[in-house]
Amino acid sequence: MDKNKSLSKKTARIRGWIQAAATLLTNIHIPNLFKGKIYQGKAKTVCVPGLNCYSCPAATGACPIGAFQAVVGSSKFKFSYYITGFFILIGVILGRFICGFLCPFGWFQDLLHKIPGKKFSTARLKPLRYLKYIILIVFVILLPMLVTNSIGMGDPFFCKYICPQGVLEGAIPLSLGNAAIRSALGKLFSFKCLILITVVVLSILFYRPFCKWICPLGAIYSLFNKVSLMRINVESSKCVGCGKCSKACKMDVDVCKTPNHPECIRCGACMKACPKDAIHYQFMGKPCSPKGHKQSSKTNM
Amino acid sequence: MKTKRTLISIITLCAALSLTACNGSGSATTENSQKTQTESTTEAVDNSNTKLDDLYQQENQIFADHQDVWNKAFGMANKSDADPSGDYADYLAGIIESNKESFTDDELKTLNDDIETIRQIEKQIDEIENKNAGSESTDQNDNSEEITPFKSFSGKNFDGNSVDESLFSNNAVTVVNFWFTGCKPCVAELSKLNELNDAIKSMGGEVVGINTETFDGNEDAIKEAAAVLDSQGAKYRNISVDSDSSVGKYASDIMAFPTTILVDRNGNIVGDPMLGGIDDQANYDSLMKQIQSVIDADSKDK
Repeated sequence: MDKNKSLSKKTARIRGWIQAAATLLTNIHIPNLFKGKIYQGKAKTVCVPGLNCYSCPAATGACPIGAFQAVVGSSKFKFSYYITGFFILIGVILGRFICGFLCPFGWFQDLLHKIPGKKFSTARLKPLRYLKYIILIVFVILLPMLVTNSIGMGDPFFCKYICPQGVLEGAIPLSLGNAAIRSALGKLFSFKCLILITVVVLSILFYRPFCKWICPLGAIYSLFNKVSLMRINVESSKCVGCGKCSKACKMDVDVCKTPNHPECIRCGACMKACPKDAIHYQFMGKPCSPKGHKQSSKTNM
Repeated sequence: MKTKRTLISIITLCAALSLTACNGSGSATTENSQKTQTESTTEAVDNSNTKLDDLYQQENQIFADHQDVWNKAFGMANKSDADPSGDYADYLAGIIESNKESFTDDELKTLNDDIETIRQIEKQIDEIENKNAGSESTDQNDNSEEITPFKSFSGKNFDGNSVDESLFSNNAVTVVNFWFTGCKPCVAELSKLNELNDAIKSMGGEVVGINTETFDGNEDAIKEAAAVLDSQGAKYRNISVDSDSSVGKYASDIMAFPTTILVDRNGNIVGDPMLGGIDDQANYDSLMKQIQSVIDADSKDK
């Protein structure tokens, strides 16, 4: 048990490096960045877990949100079962652990937030969290499915009109390396650049505004947080109720009451803050305390 | 803690800047290498140019050596007889031949000897000039591998009939539209492309579609593409090519669809590729302008 706890803390401590490695692995074709060409090999038919634009020249795989819209919006298919299955699989195994550890855009926001300056709390902006579910339903599912041309093709509305990761990873490097694409940039590009700049500025002031309020991928994974194999457990026997964990949580989660809240991105800030070493990761319930113990922890809190 | 934070932010900034810097220097080096390439070829041409100058000097020296007779001979030359593409030595011999009786035997001998020497020099000049022209044309071929993949072309239309580069030579300009069936903006401009095809037919132009899903004669994809074309009322030709052909490779380098390019009668790509559909009026107008200029250039060549 003690070993596991220290493992949890260690994992949380090296989170930045894991994020860097994950970003590198999901963008492995780095030379392509300078050629302005997109890697188009077989691996591109597989989704990466995080939000990582397919059109990034270096991208290893496809963005699940982009792929979902592409399939839903195509005239051949009505619904993308393969991607939905992928969401459920990843969601059940890891949940929003993806957001905290594997998503390149999450890492980007983390880094931006490290820029020194005045930081603001998002605790009062909690209602905005629901915006991401609206974006998921409207821009990722309904609009691509329903707003179609005469032969049933829809636009990937989220990618086209909202996603700042697409500008950061796709449009900007592609247009730098490819004159033809540069010449085709228009109003839509300017609009999306504005969105990116807004997200960048907000990320410096707030912690992960995109993840909290906008990201449809985070919205999907959040639905699985309560049931995923990867979870966080608070040991009631050790907890003294000091509330340090909730103060440390930048995602505004009350860790003691709801350690598996949909907003928790498994960053482990609470573990680092806990003076009693009472919070740790568990996978499939195995490396943790017995079941009865866990239940009591819930009721006691 | 604070120092750590500043350190991290500085590193991030450096990383971001180095990315952009790398990009800039990367393109600069390619530019440089291109420059050196062109420089080296011009150097070679310069070299042969000095040789040519040298040979011309030799010829003039011959005329200078026997100035009296040659001036006499040139005085008898008739400008209208001169044939710029003809052999220079033959031309000189012709002058002497038709004015034989004006020269003494000695003079004739000097003239004929000189003409023989000039004939030899002319041969060398021809050789060098041919070589230059040859190297220039091979240069062009090298470039065309990259920029003009339509010099040699083979493909099949959707009925299975073969087409070759005569596809281009029959028209002053061929508008080649790269698209794929699952691309919404590509499909959106199909009807407009058909309009364009009708509009430029009388001007000596044609629209040809190349669907990247139909490569290598993929029959299912061809059927689908044909159905989509039909639904949009597009009747212009669509060609299926092989993915490992030069056109196939060109298409695989296209990063955004639809992309439309103009190809002249000789299979050269003219101007920059246009990205985006011509259902946008501004795109349509600029493409039409380009088409017009290619047609104008073509009629001038004739």
